[in-house]
Amino acid sequence: MRPLVPRRTALAGGAAALAAGLAACAPTGAGKVNAEAVIPPSDGPVTLTYWAWLKDLQKVADKFNASQDRITVNATWIPGGNAGGYAKILSAVAAGGGPDIAQVELRSVPEFALAGALTDLSRYGLADDEKAFDPGAFAQIKVGDSLWAVPQDTGPGAMFFNKDVFEGDLGLTPPKTWDEFRTVAEEVSKAGKTIMTLDPGDGSVLPMWAMQKGSVWFEPQDDTWVLNMADDPTMEMADFWDGIFADKLVSTGYGAFSTPWYAAAGKGDVLSYVGGSWGDALIETVPGGKGKWAVADMPRWDDGYASGGLGGSSAAVLSTSEHPAEALEFLRWMCTDPDGIDAMIKNSGIGWSPAADYIGKTREKASDFFSGQNYNVDVIEPMAKGQNLDWTWAPLMQRIIDRLGDGMLDVVGGGSTFTKMLPQAQDDIAEIMRKIGLKVEIAK
Amino acid sequence: MRSKSAPWVLMAPFLLLFLFTMVLPIIIAIVQSFLTVQRTGLVGEDGAVSRFAGLENYLAALTNQNFTDSILRMLAFGVVQVTVMIVASTILALLLESASARWPGLFRAAYFLPYGIPGVIATILWSFLYVPGLSPIVDALGWVGIDVDFLGPNMVLWSIANIVTWTYTGYNMLIIIAQLKAIPGDIYEAAKIDGAGPLRVVTSIQLPLIRPALMLTIIFSIIGTLQLFAEPQVLSSMSSGINSEYTPNLSAYAYAFQYNDLGMASAEAVIIALAAFILSAAALGISNRLGRKS
Amino acid sequence: MSTSTQTQGSSAHSTGGAGTPGATSKRTKPGKAARESRTAGTKPTTTIIVTAILVIVALYFLVPVYWVIVNATKSTEDLFGTNGFWLGNSFQLFSNLGDVLTANGGAFPRWALNSLLYSGVGAVFACYFAVAAGYALAKFEFPGRNAIFAFVLGGVLVPGTATALPLFLVFSKIGLTNTYWSVLIPSLLSPFGLFLARIYASAAIPDEVLEAARMDGASEMRIFHTIVLRQLVPAIVTILLFQFVAIWNNYFLPLVMLADEKLYPITLGLNNWRAQTDRLPEFYQLTVGGALLSVIPLAILIIVLQRFWRGGLTEGSVKG
Repeated sequence: MRPLVPRRTALAGGAAALAAGLAACAPTGAGKVNAEAVIPPSDGPVTLTYWAWLKDLQKVADKFNASQDRITVNATWIPGGNAGGYAKILSAVAAGGGPDIAQVELRSVPEFALAGALTDLSRYGLADDEKAFDPGAFAQIKVGDSLWAVPQDTGPGAMFFNKDVFEGDLGLTPPKTWDEFRTVAEEVSKAGKTIMTLDPGDGSVLPMWAMQKGSVWFEPQDDTWVLNMADDPTMEMADFWDGIFADKLVSTGYGAFSTPWYAAAGKGDVLSYVGGSWGDALIETVPGGKGKWAVADMPRWDDGYASGGLGGSSAAVLSTSEHPAEALEFLRWMCTDPDGIDAMIKNSGIGWSPAADYIGKTREKASDFFSGQNYNVDVIEPMAKGQNLDWTWAPLMQRIIDRLGDGMLDVVGGGSTFTKMLPQAQDDIAEIMRKIGLKVEIAK
Repeated sequence: MRSKSAPWVLMAPFLLLFLFTMVLPIIIAIVQSFLTVQRTGLVGEDGAVSRFAGLENYLAALTNQNFTDSILRMLAFGVVQVTVMIVASTILALLLESASARWPGLFRAAYFLPYGIPGVIATILWSFLYVPGLSPIVDALGWVGIDVDFLGPNMVLWSIANIVTWTYTGYNMLIIIAQLKAIPGDIYEAAKIDGAGPLRVVTSIQLPLIRPALMLTIIFSIIGTLQLFAEPQVLSSMSSGINSEYTPNLSAYAYAFQYNDLGMASAEAVIIALAAFILSAAALGISNRLGRKS
Repeated sequence: MSTSTQTQGSSAHSTGGAGTPGATSKRTKPGKAARESRTAGTKPTTTIIVTAILVIVALYFLVPVYWVIVNATKSTEDLFGTNGFWLGNSFQLFSNLGDVLTANGGAFPRWALNSLLYSGVGAVFACYFAVAAGYALAKFEFPGRNAIFAFVLGGVLVPGTATALPLFLVFSKIGLTNTYWSVLIPSLLSPFGLFLARIYASAAIPDEVLEAARMDGASEMRIFHTIVLRQLVPAIVTILLFQFVAIWNNYFLPLVMLADEKLYPITLGLNNWRAQTDRLPEFYQLTVGGALLSVIPLAILIIVLQRFWRGGLTEGSVKG
């Protein structure tokens, strides 16, 4: 290798000269903002722009705007992350413009940090607010010591089920463990129904299952990512689902909340949904479901955690923002103040509250739809408290999820199994992360 | 004297634009395709530098199964869709130009109308006819016992093909009609004297003479197929069958704006452009060879 | 390019007017002649069958447009609850369209104006530049002429989407992304227009006319603006229409370049509405109404201007 070094350096030098001109404008250029001095709060009035796909976010912002007279927040709707929203945000940041605040899914936060699109909020004192946030929410915006966004909502996993059919017609009880889940799924299957459906191309359920089992797939150690996607807990989980898939105990024709899913759920053919708590609002639109559905704990393992998380978003302060201090002031209100939380629940229908001790006023009451159950207090809150707080999202999560989705399609198609697919995916993902210069190790 | 500088003055705006919006981006794409960005730190917070990557990006693109799948998918799409469309355009052109057609102007306008509807809006229109619950077509088929899911993983490619065919058949038909109109009348006279029937006129006069127009439509259709983007992108939110790398262009877009890998995105863009070039050249070559034989 | 004059003769000439001596003029209206020569002896049954086929095909092309017209009159409830091929229980076309025009603070009219601006300005200047360059390539002898032409021809074959991404990088470097310019500037280039203009110019502009004008002492620019442009009217109309529709239909370029909704053309804006239907069903009605409003004017334009398309389209075929 030694004789090659000068030539390589020369090549690299030449390329770097070109690259300096070209890559400087690339959306991938790391934001230098986190190495520069902290921007002090402004003296005068400040106007902030906020891009998100939350519905009626402006009404939430208006509430804040009315509560003080220094900061004005203007919200703009953008398409959901992968439906074009992320491309929009990243290209706006690359162009030096863009909003002050943008919605970024929790799992995509490190990816945005990698793109140089985010301001590290630990430099603006977000660490002091840690106690105001739900620990399960706060853990997801942390990478090492950096705090890359403010959690806006989360999706602690729970089991939503059609109590009417499940308990009434079939005489079953909601499974407390995954082993029971299997037994129950067999019974449901015998009755010609399906316990639940999975979108075969959507890999995002796998991290939820793995984090509940107690694995930490992406573990930051100093400046290295240690991958544990094939560790013992994960393999045990994978083996379980291989069995479920082999016996076709769940349906993989379509995902939850798709048009055919609503039809099947309405007819009482699909009996449950195991996923993020935000599923409640969607299940409430199941035709004729009122009073029939109920909520139970996510089935669990003997070890591991009570629940895993699926979905959830953050509000990130972009690296191009000239008013990060004011942006954080607003987000502190929106994501921890009861007024902010209630406004987000009422107008935008957010998932689980990111605040430490406030789940939202309307969520403290019993629900007519869910069989009169006070499910938020009785079920979701313990689920939210039983999260795997060591879990960290990796950069390039989008590619990882897509890779897992491709793998899952293979499994569904019978070409592979989860136990085979996950180690392969891990190798591919390590390769992808190394290619961009990250240090990666695969745990033994 | 004057005419020495005149052509350059006349060409200046065009050439400047050509250099700035065509040549420069192509050069940049090529350069980028040989670079890769290296980050340090857990999420690149300790800096990022570009380094020369040789053919790494090209190798990665060509071994990226999603990307190669997308190219194969487009080839399958192209072979079927372009053939169907060109055959339909030709038949419609011949019918409209035949003496048997009533109100040719009216039909021509009806067939050409979709060309004025942008692909995105065409896709929105058709998606209304694809989505179960909204679509009267799905309803009607359901009544007679046929359950189709136009947006299902196996069907959606052909649902896209339908949108593309709908949009461009009339346009291609007009190109062919123009060529048919350019056939001098005395050729038809001669054929009539020889006792040639209508079918014979089609096969031995009209089809050979519209070959250049057919070639043109095929080449533009090939380029169009490789560029397929708007239709699958709009439908992707409604169909689980469309992943983020469903077509070569979607893949390049995903690498640029979702995966943050400009080197890879550029390599894919270069491969797409080269493929368009090669396929177009091949189409021309085949056409010339056929032309010489006949 | 020797085949060029041969294939384009008819169309250049039929609309080219009287002042084009030397061009291929012997085949006046060949299409009509051919048609007449073949009319005799057509059986009525054939006419019925052919017309029936044409009607069925026409239904296919018009069904989505019909659907959107019918369903733009419905309430959101009827949109899902009543047969898509017939009117619903309520007829609220005008209030729906009113909603379309006023939603998001009048976003839709703004998108329509943006589309008009991009397409109109883009087409006019692209056409002017392409015609000037095409004329120069056709009528002047200078070194590098063929090389330039071959180069530009290659440009026709490069997919527009392949250049849009790197162009985004260039524009973001100079701060042009997310401005009107970022969509306008690339729209000013029409290699296809140059191609067409060059063929037209070499056939329709006799060298003698140019020489005579030069003898009279007219400057080259004056010759171009007074004599040449007039001679090239048919080509200009075709290029204008082509470029207008090409820009109007473009989705990828504005998608890559624009982030601000206020700068969106109709294509992006309407898709933005459609994307919101996932969570907010009321956007279905807006999307349907918006689709109707964006289809109708262009459909009328296409039908009215249809005859102009014939002329220009053959020119492309010289490549064969």
